[in-house]
Amino acid sequence: MDDKSTLEQMYLRGNITRRQLLVGMGMLAAGLSMASVLAACGGSTTSGTGGGTPKKGGTFRLGVTGGGAKDIIDGQNIVTKPDQARLVAGFETLLVYDENYNLTNDGLAESVTQDKPDQWTIRLKQGITFHDGKTLSADDVIYSLQRMTDPKQGLFGTGGLGSIDPKNITKMDDRTVRLNLKQADSTIGEQMGQYYNGMVPVGYTRAGTQNGTGPYKVQSFTPGQQSVHVRNANYWRSGQPYFDQVTVIDFPDPSAQVNALLAGQLDAITDIPFAQVSVVKAHSGLAVLESPGGGWLPLCMAIDLEPFTDNRVRQAFRLMADRQAIVTQVLSGHGRVANDLYAPFDEGFASDLPQRHQDFAQAKSLLKAAGKDGMTVDLHTTDGAAGMVDVANVFAQQAKGAGITVNVKNDPNYYGDAYLKLAFSVDFWGTRNYLPQVANGSIPTAPYNECHWPPSGSNYLSLYKQALAEVDKTKRIALKHEMQKLEYDQGGYIIPFFNNLVDAYSTKVSGFKPSKGTLNLTSFGHGYRTIWFS
Amino acid sequence: MATGPSGSASGSISTLIPGGPSVTAAPGMARARNPIWGFIVRRLLLGAFVLFLVSIVIFVATQALPGDTARAILGRTATPASLEALREQLHLNRPLVVQYLLWAGGLLRGDAGSSMAAQEPVTKLIGDRIINSAFLVLCAGLISIPLSVLIGSYAALKRDKSFDVAASLTTLVFAALPEFVVGVTLVVLFATTVLHVLPAVSLIPPGGRPWDEPIGMILPTLTLVLAVTPYVARIMRASMIEVLESDYVEMARLKGLSEWIVIRRHALPNALGPTFQVIALNLAYLAGGVIVVEYVFNYAGIGGALRDAVSNRDLPVIQAVALLIAGLYVVLNLLADIATILVTPRLRTRL
Repeated sequence: MDDKSTLEQMYLRGNITRRQLLVGMGMLAAGLSMASVLAACGGSTTSGTGGGTPKKGGTFRLGVTGGGAKDIIDGQNIVTKPDQARLVAGFETLLVYDENYNLTNDGLAESVTQDKPDQWTIRLKQGITFHDGKTLSADDVIYSLQRMTDPKQGLFGTGGLGSIDPKNITKMDDRTVRLNLKQADSTIGEQMGQYYNGMVPVGYTRAGTQNGTGPYKVQSFTPGQQSVHVRNANYWRSGQPYFDQVTVIDFPDPSAQVNALLAGQLDAITDIPFAQVSVVKAHSGLAVLESPGGGWLPLCMAIDLEPFTDNRVRQAFRLMADRQAIVTQVLSGHGRVANDLYAPFDEGFASDLPQRHQDFAQAKSLLKAAGKDGMTVDLHTTDGAAGMVDVANVFAQQAKGAGITVNVKNDPNYYGDAYLKLAFSVDFWGTRNYLPQVANGSIPTAPYNECHWPPSGSNYLSLYKQALAEVDKTKRIALKHEMQKLEYDQGGYIIPFFNNLVDAYSTKVSGFKPSKGTLNLTSFGHGYRTIWFS
Repeated sequence: MATGPSGSASGSISTLIPGGPSVTAAPGMARARNPIWGFIVRRLLLGAFVLFLVSIVIFVATQALPGDTARAILGRTATPASLEALREQLHLNRPLVVQYLLWAGGLLRGDAGSSMAAQEPVTKLIGDRIINSAFLVLCAGLISIPLSVLIGSYAALKRDKSFDVAASLTTLVFAALPEFVVGVTLVVLFATTVLHVLPAVSLIPPGGRPWDEPIGMILPTLTLVLAVTPYVARIMRASMIEVLESDYVEMARLKGLSEWIVIRRHALPNALGPTFQVIALNLAYLAGGVIVVEYVFNYAGIGGALRDAVSNRDLPVIQAVALLIAGLYVVLNLLADIATILVTPRLRTRL
């Protein structure tokens, strides 16, 4: 079936309106991809449960754990998890990741293209307005990019945008902006799809009015308690959003959150405790949504500190981990086995490298060859993120099989002066694509390079620079592959798993479906616009 | 909040209970005035002194966090610039005594500093929450105090009868259960699993008041009532039994007074004295125990603020809430002592 007949079928089944059919046909004629056409047609691609025609109305009540007095609303920043749930209601990005973590032009930009290794051009869609009625223009994009790259703002995305020269952003016309970078960077497009790099109007401040292009406007917000968002009547995607109002409520205790869902006081909740998954599943009228996330908890071996200066020791330690057992014990099975490589959703993720399994015989012989058999080592960890202490304890238990004694040191002041200077430690990371993650954790200039990667004399850094400059996708993937092979063979990370996001919702809500990515609940229903009360 | 409600009166309280060491009388006090006022003034001054000592303890304890306080607060995201800014804001570069004086001086002017997590004045952050928590404690107190006095007295009158046995057993069971167990059980019974008649959590909208939606108050209040009533009822029963066996009650009965008069005029006032002390301790405990209950029911009170502040290492909020709870202890103990004196003529004459 070709794309046009897909649209016609959807029209006949009532998934899209006649108006949407015509718009979609027009977009196809203009050469846009089917995915973006479907997304623009509104919601029909995400009819996971319930399905049927989206209906308008109602107040959607969401419970989120992990918040507190630190909560903020900012179109370009988050501190806590509820901040994510609030940001996406009001603010949107130039590009958008779809359910398979593919970058699409379903955002505010018609296109974001790399003209040359160090030059990008952004072309905005027409007729998008902010909550206050002002049209989104090139000036707003320039202001947004300058704010994002201003280190004084302390924004979440600033670290990944180091190549942008804030003084060298040019307005070509009302809808076109050109970036002349400080150095070649092929990741600007990926960065523009990160949910926290939202577009804000000229003059925007966190303390001022919350004014974005998103489907809901902020009506009230109390940090640590709740926020109320009301429908943006002039939203640019026709038909969306469906709810009249969205309420995001902070919960300190995940059990209280589950109770509120069971009692019908909430319509959806994020991150249910693994022990309660069966309770929720057994309850008629509720459903569990499990999505493959990209978060990971590495055990980090510093390659320039004893006993890990010898690559044979690092390889032996990587062979001591029973990854499936770690997934079972630390995540109650809610995760996928990893292979010491990060960025599982990246276009160039090296999924072809052979999966490492526990192999005590080989680990012992490697340790013997290195003269380190029967040694004792300290593993430093802290209660920084869920599972950081558990993963250390499970690994220490497993290491006994190779005759190695691992002493787990749970240090409440872990992120103090000793952090990044330890030989063996546990850390935590969220979902990022490969090159942005490298910039954060795997090169000498990265802020959190736990493993002190790469080794001196390695060509890793030059490969990284080439990949950043490479405009051609196939060549770029090949370069990333080469980099990952180096890390797979000699690196300091033991990465046992990627976690899943486990959420729950009332079956009164339609439109949720499992999706790869950073955010819970199908990216919170893409800003609460692709979900509705059936 | 590791300690449970204490069933025994202790500390300064025992000095006022019959049989305890005698209270030093203030000689030369004007006989014309009611001596109770002098007592109140003295106790208020003592309370202020206690709070001063407590403030030192709180300040020193929160300074004793391992490592660099600013680093501990900022965690992984610390940068040299943000560390310096935070040290400046917290006056961490100044000597400890100066830090204390700055903090205590601010408190005297009603300025508890600014929350580091929320970047707002502490008073604004916890003001509404104090009202919410106070209302919850008040509801629990208004129900549990008369209820426990009734249960305790009636059990003493029906000593070893079926009511007494049943009441003893029930109060013992509830006294042994931590309140989060009681709270979770109530949620399962009335909100999520067995019946679906009450809300599982209380969602007070910001700026709203708990009494706007009374149905949300039922389970949290009931949990606190079940946590406190057993202790008070058991003390009331023990105290009432002792009084009923005393010579003066026997004398009153021999004089032919009706049983109702004997109980109301002679037994109850004497039995209430020790009970007031336990009520005060339990109410003060409620202010802390409320933290657990607020957690279970997602109730927006000081418990939530304290929990959040501890996880954020938000020192100004921790200090303010700790001092508030200490202040509550002082005030409730004073009220209990006054009530004890009013129902115990012997103590009044000793003032």
